[in-house]
Formats: sequence, structure tokens, C-alpha cells
Amino acid sequence: MNEWLVFLLLFLSPVVSSIPIALLYKSKEWTARLPYLSVFGIFISVLMSLYIFFTFPSELPDCRFVSPYTWIPGTGIDIVLITDYLSRSMGVITALIAFFIAIYGLDYMRGDYRPSWYWFFFNLFTASMLLVVYSDNLFLLFVGWEGLGAASWGLIGHWFRDDDEIAYVGVPGRKVGPLEFCWPPSFGGWRAISTIRFGDVPMFFAIAAIWAFAGGNLNISEIAWGALFTKLGAAGTVILMLMLLMGLFTKSAQVPFSEWLMTAMTGPTTVSALLHSATMVAAGAYVFIKLTWYIQPWNMHNIPGVESVYVIVLFVGLVSGLYGALAATGMLERKVLLAASTMSSLGLMFGSAAASYWLPKEVPGTGMNLALLVAFWYLAVHAFAKASLFLVSGHLIHATHTRFSVGNLEFGKKMKATFAVTLIATTFLVGMPPFTAYWVKSGMDEVMEHLLHEGMLLPLILLLATSLTYSAILARFTSLNFIKGEKPKHEHLEGGNLMRVGYLLMASILFILWYLIFKNKETVGFVHAGYASTSILVGIAILVAYVGALYKPRISSLSAIGTFFNDRMYLPYLNDYIIPKIGFFVAHLVHGYGNRGIDGFFNTKVMPGLFGLISRGIRCIQSGYLAHYIKVVLGVVMMILILAAIGGVYLYP
Amino acid sequence: MTAVTLALVALVILVLGAVGSFKFRPLGFLGALIAILIGLGTCPLYYGIFIFAIALVNLLSLTALQDIIKGVDYSLVGLMALATMYIFTTHDFAMVLVALVLVSVPTYILVMLRAGKANIEVGIKYITFMVLATVMFLIGAVILLYAHAHAPGAAADGFGFIYAVGYVMLVLGLSLEVGVAPLHEWVPDVFTAGDPIPISIIASLAKVVPFVAALWILIPISNAITPSLVLFTAVLAAISMFTGNIGALTAREPARVLAYSTVANMGYVLSCFVVIANHEYVYFAIAGGLLMLFANAVGKIGFFNAIKGEGAYSPFMYILAFSFIGVPPLMGFWGKLYILFSMAKMEYFWLVAIMVINSAISIPYYIRLAGELGVSWRMNLVNLICLIAVIITLVTVLFVPVDWFFKNIALVANSLGVVI
Repeated sequence: MNEWLVFLLLFLSPVVSSIPIALLYKSKEWTARLPYLSVFGIFISVLMSLYIFFTFPSELPDCRFVSPYTWIPGTGIDIVLITDYLSRSMGVITALIAFFIAIYGLDYMRGDYRPSWYWFFFNLFTASMLLVVYSDNLFLLFVGWEGLGAASWGLIGHWFRDDDEIAYVGVPGRKVGPLEFCWPPSFGGWRAISTIRFGDVPMFFAIAAIWAFAGGNLNISEIAWGALFTKLGAAGTVILMLMLLMGLFTKSAQVPFSEWLMTAMTGPTTVSALLHSATMVAAGAYVFIKLTWYIQPWNMHNIPGVESVYVIVLFVGLVSGLYGALAATGMLERKVLLAASTMSSLGLMFGSAAASYWLPKEVPGTGMNLALLVAFWYLAVHAFAKASLFLVSGHLIHATHTRFSVGNLEFGKKMKATFAVTLIATTFLVGMPPFTAYWVKSGMDEVMEHLLHEGMLLPLILLLATSLTYSAILARFTSLNFIKGEKPKHEHLEGGNLMRVGYLLMASILFILWYLIFKNKETVGFVHAGYASTSILVGIAILVAYVGALYKPRISSLSAIGTFFNDRMYLPYLNDYIIPKIGFFVAHLVHGYGNRGIDGFFNTKVMPGLFGLISRGIRCIQSGYLAHYIKVVLGVVMMILILAAIGGVYLYP
Repeated sequence: MTAVTLALVALVILVLGAVGSFKFRPLGFLGALIAILIGLGTCPLYYGIFIFAIALVNLLSLTALQDIIKGVDYSLVGLMALATMYIFTTHDFAMVLVALVLVSVPTYILVMLRAGKANIEVGIKYITFMVLATVMFLIGAVILLYAHAHAPGAAADGFGFIYAVGYVMLVLGLSLEVGVAPLHEWVPDVFTAGDPIPISIIASLAKVVPFVAALWILIPISNAITPSLVLFTAVLAAISMFTGNIGALTAREPARVLAYSTVANMGYVLSCFVVIANHEYVYFAIAGGLLMLFANAVGKIGFFNAIKGEGAYSPFMYILAFSFIGVPPLMGFWGKLYILFSMAKMEYFWLVAIMVINSAISIPYYIRLAGELGVSWRMNLVNLICLIAVIITLVTVLFVPVDWFFKNIALVANSLGVVI
């Protein structure tokens, strides 16, 4: 098959298949049927991503596809796609997860009040994410990136009427200081888009700067990064990369931009699963891994500024990891707990990818950097496991009519498949031996241990603290929903078969990944690390933390600190209080001192007066009498001719 | 066959169609259609297609008007289209002036057309100024050519005076012809008192040739004086933009708004004259000017037909309005972009600023116009015409003009005597 046909089908089939439902939004009959078409569109993307995975070249320069259609010629802004190791794998992950969640969504969104909106944005999101994944050109990537932002806003605020408390985040009416810690969907959508915008704008300028300084080339795999950083100098490199990273950090909800992700949980659960755990938020980490893959910072120890950038990312990532895990310990809302754990995982991805700077270790026979592979594999395992858990919580919310964790063993027995998937997804994700994530986490331990040689102890401590807390919070989630939670007040156990299909499929992939870790040659380093004694010790500690939290999910003596964590250590104040205060201060300043002048100039006095004057002048000439017009025209012509004649004679004698 | 032969064949068919239309009216339409199809062979393809499309919608819109010379009116439009196509190929000074007259004179008759009797009052007002305009243009052209023949390249011994007067007369003639302020007085009156359909032809097809003819003469003979003379054109363009846009902003009647919008648009096109002294950027100026003229033409056709048909499909109206405003990637945007680009390259930054400010001033009235003229979908001729206009406006969405437009600019530039 022609490669561009494959790409077109990959990107366009989700969008095209969701156009009918978007257009027929008024017909109840059609909007009930057409979701199947939308899901089919995503299915085509799955097929195409698999086709790319198995048949397309993976080595440069063959894996880079430059479109014969020049988009904006001569600018370096072209349609350039890449099917290297990262893109081809991430493409399959994205398409598969979107497809499974779409199947689940057929059940979950049944009877919703605006299916057209949901499916259009859901599919638009899938296409945008695939574009981000396969783009080699930074500008093209940014186009997809903005698509993610738009879809995220549309989907978080899907229930824009704010009429059902079950979609809220926080307890209505609960005040912490002057702020009410409760957010409806419309507010969640706004927080998401405003935070992401805050990062996207510097990112856009960073791309423009790269374009300007890298000789008009924007292809990630082609840019001469070393030369670029050398040219910019230490300060220039740090500023450029920080601007670029602003986009990635805000998208991946790293500290202090994490608040939007918590209130993004006001969207439908399918959205939380796809966008806010598995793919979109991971896009920040993914793009960082991809950039680092081609920047190869481990070869740049003599270029000033690069180390500072990687130190910043390392610590932002690891601190976010610990912050997210700690915040989750106090949370009772199912999805918000998972969201906090997601930001924690994303932090670990950033952290381990950043560690590649100090780790010139290549996996033998592949030429790939171990730290980047660890980050990417953790992204993959996390995506499937966390998406499964989100889908489970969606089903639980349907079954119990509450977004807070409830459910005892009796309830757990009634929801066997759900319970089983939760156990699999949590144990496979936390790093408990011998399940999937254990091997990846062992690789991560090894990477952080390596930093000890660089005199950095803190990263390892942060990683271990995060891992243990993380294990405990997921065990707590399991326990409070299926074993030791309160008995649910409502139980609605009928139906939901497609939902079960969705999360069973999702969790089954974890077994495949487990198998692949042992089969693939690039992951041999993980297996090797897994047999190291320190890894086994850490694994056992994680197991103990898991079992302990499963047995005792709530400790009443720690409730005060739990509340503090549940309030995300008061970080909402940054979003909802401090920044708005600054905004209001500026507004006040402008209103009080600048407004009268500006208003007077533009709105009430000078400009309107001027316009009125000119307008009257123009209309005054327009008397309708031919004689009058002839006088005006001849007068003007004569006058100009005389001026021209004088000018001609004197200026150019 | 050579371009001249093709043009002659087209002319014969046009005349036969016109004569035949006395017996059977559709023959006039048919003759004009065949003639402009043949005319396509006489000029660079992309321009030909644009002019063909504009002429075609003009012809189509004329079918809705039951005037006293029904049948011949098509031939007049055909003649204008042929002259507009031919001017891109000719290398002959006399033929350029002939083309100008051939585009100008048919409009004297067209402007008087309406259902029933001729509209004499509008005719007198229009013809008075057009005759003056054509005469000034021709005299200016002849003076310039004379000066160029005697003192090529530089202003030797008193020829500075002759150059200056010739240049100013030509530009004033052009300004009066197309309606650049402060010589725009006829525009609002004629546009509001005439029937919208012939006015749409005057506002679209008739505008291309005067500009191309002026460039055809001014570019090859530019010399040391030209840089100071174009300053005069730039001032004229700025006056026209402000007059047009503020006039349109404070006018109520849609036809009057469109009249002032024409004044403003002619100001935009005239501003690209600042590059005639520098052949390096003349590409951009011509590309910008022509795209602006085409965008203006299809927009005016759409809006005037909407006035005639008491409204057209709302989304169409908005797309045309956005094109006028200059929203990317519609055609009007590219026109403005290239004009701005050429001006910036010539370091006419004050004119760049004025044009951007004027584009901003124009936003409210175009949106208002689209709102007033927009109605829900009906199956009729007006909407068909507007649909074609919208498709032409959207051509630049699919084909970003840089590439294909520039290749053909070379051909036009060659016919203008510029080799780059």
C-alpha cells in the first residue's frame, strides 16, 4: 500500500467517521446509531498503526517520510512524518487505547445529552494525538498539539450544564479559607485550556526560535541540536529549552501546573481514561523522550547549558512524582485519586528520561539509551494499566451512583470482572515482582542508582519514596472500592457488558507487554536489572506497602495530614486565588489609571470625533449634483497637476 | 494558432453572437461564452481561468436582468473579458490602450441598463467622468512614452517636468476610472442609483485592465524620478483607503457601503504601485494587486447579486466578507499579504501601517453587510452565483498561491516588459 495512503487513512478516518454524527446532532435516532461508525473510524486507525508497525522501515533515513505536497514552500514547514522505534510503538499504543475506550464509551455514553459533541471531539482527539506521535516536523507536531488542547477543553466541559453533582470534583460547599474547593465541569474545562495555553505560547515561540537559529529546519531528527545549543550559549539554551518545556510540563501536569488535571476529572470517565491518563498528558513526556532521543544530551557534556536543562527536568519530574503520590494518599474521589497518581507517573517518566544525560549506557545491539527506553516502556505500561483503572472507576460510578470510593467485599464479589481487572492493573503497575512494571521499574532503579556516581543521591530517594507511596495508594484504591470500603447505598449492577469488554481488553495488553519485555532484545537490560539484589529488595518493599495498604486503607490518626494532602497541599490557591489576584490587580491598575485615557482616546472622544469629522466631510462632497462633482474633480486634478509641474521643474530641472 | 488569431476568431464569434441575438436572444450568451472560452488560449492559464470565471458569473447574473438590449449585453461583457485576457499577452503599446478603451466603453452602456427603460441619469454621471478619465490616462501615457523615447532611463534637460506631468496625469486618469479618492465622487452615486447587476460588472471585470495597463506602461519606463513620483501614488492610496473605509463604516445602504468598499479596495491595489521603481519586488506587487482585484471582483459580484436577489445564503456572505477583511487563507488575505510584503520590502512602513489599520476599520461593516444580506438557503440563481464566487474565493485554501501564482507572474511580468 502507498505509504501516504496509509498515513491519510490513519489520520483522517477518525475525523471523517465522526463528521456524520456531528452534522446530524439534532436527530436522536441517528446519534444513537452513528457512534458505531465513529468507533469503526478509530478501528481503521488501529489497523493502519499496526500496518506501519509491522511493515514500515524503522531506521533513519528510510523511516522519515517527507510529503511530496509542499505545504508552505521554502519555510522548512513541511509535512514530515517519522516511523522510528518511538513513533511506531506509540502509534499502536494510542490507537489501541483509543479503540478500547471507544468500545467502552458505546455503553458508557449511551443516553447522554450530546453524543455528537462527545464523539466528534473524541475522534478529533485521536487524530490529533496520532499526528503528534508520528510528526517529525515540530510545526506539524504543534498543529496536533493544539488539536489535543482543543479536544481536551471540549471533552472536559462536555457536561457543560453543570447540572449533575456526580461530575464535579471536590465536595460542594466545602470551603478552605476563602475558596470553595469544588469545581464543576465548565470550570474544569476552563482551567485546563487556560493552563495549557500558558505553556503553549512559550512553546510556540520556542519552536519559532529553533526555526530561526537552526537554519530554517524544524525536523526533530534532522536539526543539528549540538550546533544549535553551542550557538545559543548557556543562557540561550536554558531559556529556549525552558520555553519549550513549558508546553510539555503544562500538558503533562507537572508541578506547579498540575491543578488542571485534577479538575479535568469533571469530564466523562472515558475522557479521563484516554486523555487524562493514557495518551494526551503522556504526550508531554513522550515529546520530551523523543526530543532527547535525537538531541542525545549524553554526548553534549561539553556544551554549556544542557546539563542545567536536564537537572531541571529531572527534579521537576521527580518532585511531581512524589507530590502526586502523596496528594493521592488523602483522596477519596476515585478519579481524582487516579489523576494524582497519573501525574506522579508522568513525573517518573520525565525524571528517568532526563537521567539519560548522565547515562551514556546503550542497550547492546540496538544503539538505544537505557534511560529513555525505561521512560518509554513505563509510559506504555502505565497507559494500559491506568486506562484500565479509569474504565473500572467509570463502571463503579455507574454502579454505585457516587464518585467517592465505596464498596465492600460483598460488592466486590458481585463485580468479579471489575475487581479482577483492578487487581491486575494495580499489581502490574506498581512494580511488584514479577509483574510487568517490576522489570521496567527495576530499570528505572538502575538508572537512578547510576546517578549516585554523579554524586546525586536525592533522585534515588525521591524515586523510592514515590514508588512505595504509589504502591500504597493503588492498593488503597483497590481496598476502598472492593474490600474494606463502605457498603454502597445504591447498586446498579445490570448491563455494562461493553464496558467490561473495554477494560478486559485493556488489561489483557499488560500480559502482552510482560511477554514482550522478555522477548524483545532492547528490553534485555530491564530483565537484567530485575535480577539485581537491590531491585528485588525494592520490589519486596513495594509488595509490603501494597499489602499493608490493602489491609488497612485508612489510618484515622493521620486524618489531618490526609486532608492536607487531599487538598493537594493547597495548590489550588495558585490557580484560583494568587494568579487571579494578580490579574485583578493589573485590571484594577488599568481601570483606575489607564482606562480613562485609553477609553477617552479610543471610545468616547478622540477617535469617534475624528471619524465623525471625516465621515461628515466625505458625505458633504456627495451632494448628488453633477456640476458640483465636476468642480471637485477638476479642482483636484488641476491642483495636483500644477503641483506636479512645479515639482518636476524645480526638483529635476 | 497565435494569440492574435485566436483573439480575432473570438471577436468574430462575439459579433456573430451579438447580431444573431436580434433574432434569438440566447445566441448573444452563447457567442460570448464561446468567445471567452477561445480567449482562454490567448493568455497565461491561471489568469485566464480567473477572468473566465469572473466573466462567466457576470454573464450568468445578467440573465436575471430584462433590459432593452437583451442579447447584446452579453456580447459587451464578452468583449470586456476578451480585452482583459488579451492585455496579458500583448507586447504592443497601442494594443494596451485599445484594450483599455475596449473595457471602458462597454461599461458606458452597461451602466444604463435596468429592467425596462435605460437609466439615463446614471449614464450621464458615469460617462462624464469616464471620458475625462480615459482622456487623461491616454494623454498621460502618450506624454510618458514621448519622454521615454527622448530621454530613456534618466531625466535629462527639462524632461523631469514632462515625466512628472505625464505620470500624474496617467495616475489621475486611472484613479478617476476605477474610483480612487479624492476622485471617487461618481462611485457612491452610480453604485446606488444603478441596477446592482451591471454595477457588479463595473465593480469586477472592468477594474483589472486599467491597473494592468498602468503597470504595463509605468514599470518599463521607470527611472531616477520614479521613486519620488510613487510617493504621490502612495499618498493617493492612503487617502483612498481612509475615505473608502470610513465612508463605508458610516454608510447604511448596502450598495453605498459597497461603493465605498470599492474606493478602499482600489486604494489597496494602488498602493502596490510603490514597487514600480524596483523590479526585484515587482513580482509580489503584481501578485498582490491581481489577487486583490480578483478577490474584490468575486466579492462584489456576490454582494451585488445578493442585493438584487434580496439576500443570499448566509454562510456565503460571511465567507465573502471574511475574504474582503483578509482572513487567511481566503483569497483576499493573500492579496493583502503580498501587497503588504512588497511595500515592506520597499520600506514604505507608514503605508503598511495605514493599510493594516484600514483593514481593521473595515471589519465591522463587512460583517454587518454579511449579516444584513445573509438569509437561509434557497435554490435560485443568486445563490448559484454566490456559490461560484465563494468557490473562487476558496481556491487559495487548497492551493497556497505562492507557488503556482508566482510561476505565472513571470509570464505577466514579461508582457509588462520586465525581465527578472
